[in-house]
Amino acid sequence: MLLLLLWLLPLGGAILLWALGPQIGRAAGALGSLVVLASFGLALMLFGDATSATPLHQLLGTWVPGFTFGLLLDPLSLLWALIITGVGGLIHVYSIGYMWADRAIARFFAYMNFFVFAMLTLVLSDNIVGLLVGWGLVGLASYFLIGFWFYKPSAVAAAKKAFVINVFGDIGIMFAVFALYAATSSIAFADIFAKAGTFSQGLLAAVCIGLFIGAAAKSAQVPLHTWLPDAMEGPTPVSALIHAATMVTAGVYLVARFAPLFSLSPPMQETVGIVGAVTMVTGALLGITQWDIKRILAYSTMSQIGYMIMGVGVGAYQAGVLHFFTHAFFKAQLFLAAGLVIHALHDEQDVRKMGGLRQRMPFAFWAMLVGTLAIIGFPGLSGYFSKDAVIYGALEHGHPVLYIAGVLTAGLTAYYMFRMIFLTFFGPYRGEAGVSGAQSEGGQVPDHAGHAPAWVMQLPVALLIVPTILAGYLNVSFGGGPSPWMSFFGPLFSGSNNVAGPVLQIPEFASGMIVLVFVAAGIVVAYLRYGAPAVQAAAVERLEAETRAIPQAFRRGFYFDDVIEMLVVKPSYAIGRAIAGFIDPHVIDAGVRDVVWVAGALGAVFRRLQTGLVRGYALTIVAGAAAFIAYFALIGAAR
Amino acid sequence: MEVDVSNYVALSAVMFFIGVAGVIVRRNPLIVLMAIELMLNAANLALVAFSRAWVNNAGHIFVFLVVTVAAAEAAIGLAIVVAVFRRAKNVDIDEVAGLRG
Repeated sequence: MLLLLLWLLPLGGAILLWALGPQIGRAAGALGSLVVLASFGLALMLFGDATSATPLHQLLGTWVPGFTFGLLLDPLSLLWALIITGVGGLIHVYSIGYMWADRAIARFFAYMNFFVFAMLTLVLSDNIVGLLVGWGLVGLASYFLIGFWFYKPSAVAAAKKAFVINVFGDIGIMFAVFALYAATSSIAFADIFAKAGTFSQGLLAAVCIGLFIGAAAKSAQVPLHTWLPDAMEGPTPVSALIHAATMVTAGVYLVARFAPLFSLSPPMQETVGIVGAVTMVTGALLGITQWDIKRILAYSTMSQIGYMIMGVGVGAYQAGVLHFFTHAFFKAQLFLAAGLVIHALHDEQDVRKMGGLRQRMPFAFWAMLVGTLAIIGFPGLSGYFSKDAVIYGALEHGHPVLYIAGVLTAGLTAYYMFRMIFLTFFGPYRGEAGVSGAQSEGGQVPDHAGHAPAWVMQLPVALLIVPTILAGYLNVSFGGGPSPWMSFFGPLFSGSNNVAGPVLQIPEFASGMIVLVFVAAGIVVAYLRYGAPAVQAAAVERLEAETRAIPQAFRRGFYFDDVIEMLVVKPSYAIGRAIAGFIDPHVIDAGVRDVVWVAGALGAVFRRLQTGLVRGYALTIVAGAAAFIAYFALIGAAR
Repeated sequence: MEVDVSNYVALSAVMFFIGVAGVIVRRNPLIVLMAIELMLNAANLALVAFSRAWVNNAGHIFVFLVVTVAAAEAAIGLAIVVAVFRRAKNVDIDEVAGLRG
C-alpha cells in the first residue's frame, strides 16, 4: 500500500499542477517539492522491508497469463527510488528559487513531478514491459523539460534530438522484450531470471544487445551520446536532476537489473565494458576544451556514466552502482552550484567571461569545490571510494586495458574540473554582465520580478554537501567482514561476480596511489595553465589564443554529430524527399485522382437516367413492380 | 350476409390502379397527392379485408399505421406544393425538374 503511494504521489502532484497551474501560481513549487519529499519519506519507511530476505512486492493486476504487472522494491530499486525522490526533492526545493521569476513555474513543476513518477515507474516495475513504459515516459519528460523554454529554437532542436535518440534506444529494449517473452512466456523479472540458464548464447547476445542499445541511448554512451551536451539547453535544475543524477543513469540500472543475463554472456559483458570505457575517455577529452560551464559538466557526466557502465559491464556491479550513488550527490551538487553562478550572472554560462567569483560568491565556490574534489576522487570524499572501486573492479575482472583507461581518465577528470574551478572562481572578473546579484547568491537580480529568499537555493546545496563527502564510507568495512554497501544488496548479484583474478598484480592500495598520482598531475597542469598568478594576469589574451588553438576535431565533438548527420539524417532526408517528390504525387495522389475519374465517368453515364420528370419516375416504379410481380407469378406457375 | 373477400380485393385493385393512373397521367400536384391517397387507401382496404377473413387483428393495427403515415405524407406533400408554388408560380409537376441530371 505504501509502495503504491510512493509511486503515485508524484503523478498526483503532476496532474494537480497541470490542471490547476494558473490558479496555484508560485505555490506550485512548494506543492511539487512536498509531494516528492513525501515519496522520499515513504521510501525511507520501506527501507527495512525492501532489504529484508524477501523484497517488497505489490501486485497491480494481470492482463493475460504471463502479463502480470506489479511493483518491486528490492535493494537495487530502493537505491534508485531513494536517489530519485531524495536528490530529486532537494532539486525541487532549489528550483523554487531558480524558477521564481518564470511565468510558467507551475508547468515546470508539473513536468518535474511527472518525471519523478516516470522514473519511479522505470525502477519500481517488476517486469520488463513496465520498465519499458517508464523508460519511454522518462524520455518524454526529458523532452518536455529540455524544451521547457520553447521560444528558444536551440532548446526545441535539442529536445527533438534527445527524444529521437532516446526512442531509438527504446526500440532496442522493445526487441529485447519480444525475444524474452518469446523465450519465457512471461514478462516478470523473476520468471526470466529463473529461466536464464536455459537460454542459448545467441539469444542471450540478442537480448543483451537490445537492452544495451537502450541503455546506451539513455545513458549517453558513444555513439549515442550527442544529445546530452545539447540537452543543457534546459533549465539548470533539470540538468541536475535528469541529465546528471537520475535519468541518464537508467542505463546503469538496466545493466545491473539484468545482471543475471549479462553475467551469462561474457562477450556482451566485454562489449558493455569497452563501450563504457570509450565513453569515459571521449567525454573527458571533450570536456577539457569546453567553455560553457554546463557543457563541461555535461561531458563530465558522460564520462562518469562511462565509468559506471564500465563497472557494471565488467561485472563489478556493486562498484558501478556505488559510483552511480555517489555521482548522484556530487554531480547534482556541481550543477546546482553552477546554477547559483549562472543565476547570479544573468544567465551567463561562458567561463571565459567569469573569474574571480570566489570573493563574491563564497558559498557557491565552496560548494563547487567540494563537488569537484569528490568527482576527481580526492581521498576522503565519496568519489574517491566509488571511482577507485570501479577502476580496480576492471582490473579484478581481468580487463587491464580498461583499468589503464580508467586511471588516465581520472587524471583528465582532475584537469578539466580544476580548469573550470580556476576559470570561474580565481583571477580577475572578466565578464561584462553586472554582478549586482552576485552578492546575494541564489537571490534574484533586481530587474527580475521579485525573488525568493536566498536560502531556498542554498539549503539544498548545503544539504547535498553531506552525502557528497560521506556517501563513499558505506563501502568501507569497519572491523572486517563485508562493507555495509556489499551486504546491502544481499543475494542480488551473487553468482554474477565472476572474478577472473587480476592479470596485473597490483594490490588495491597501490592502485589507489597510482590513481592519486594522475589526479595530482591533472590538478597541477590545470593550475599551471589556468590558476597560477602570472597566467591569471593575462587571462583574457591567453583564453582568446587558446580558443583559436582548439583543434577542429574537438570543436566538432570528434565529428560524431557529423557522422550521424551523414549516415542517418541525410539519408533519411533523401528518402523523405524521394517519397515527397515521386511516391506522393505519382502513386498516392495519382491513385486518388484515378478513383475520382472513375466516379466521374460513371456519373456521366447514370445522370442521363435522372430526367427530373416525376411522372416518368412513377411510371418506372410501376413498370418495375409489374415486372417483379410477373416474375414471381411465372415462377409460381412453373412450380 | 357474408361478402366474399375476393370482392374487397377486386375493389382494392381497381382503386389502386385508378390511383396509379392518376399519378402517371395528371400534372396537377394536388391531384397527384389525391391519387397517392387513393393507392394508400386501396392497400388499407385489402389489409382490412384479409384481416377480417383470417380473423387476425394485425391487419387492423397496420391500417392505423398507414393512416398515420398518410396523414403525415399529405401534410408534408401539401407543404412542398405550397413552397414550390411560391418559387415557381406554377403548379405543373413537369415544370418542376430542377434535379434533372
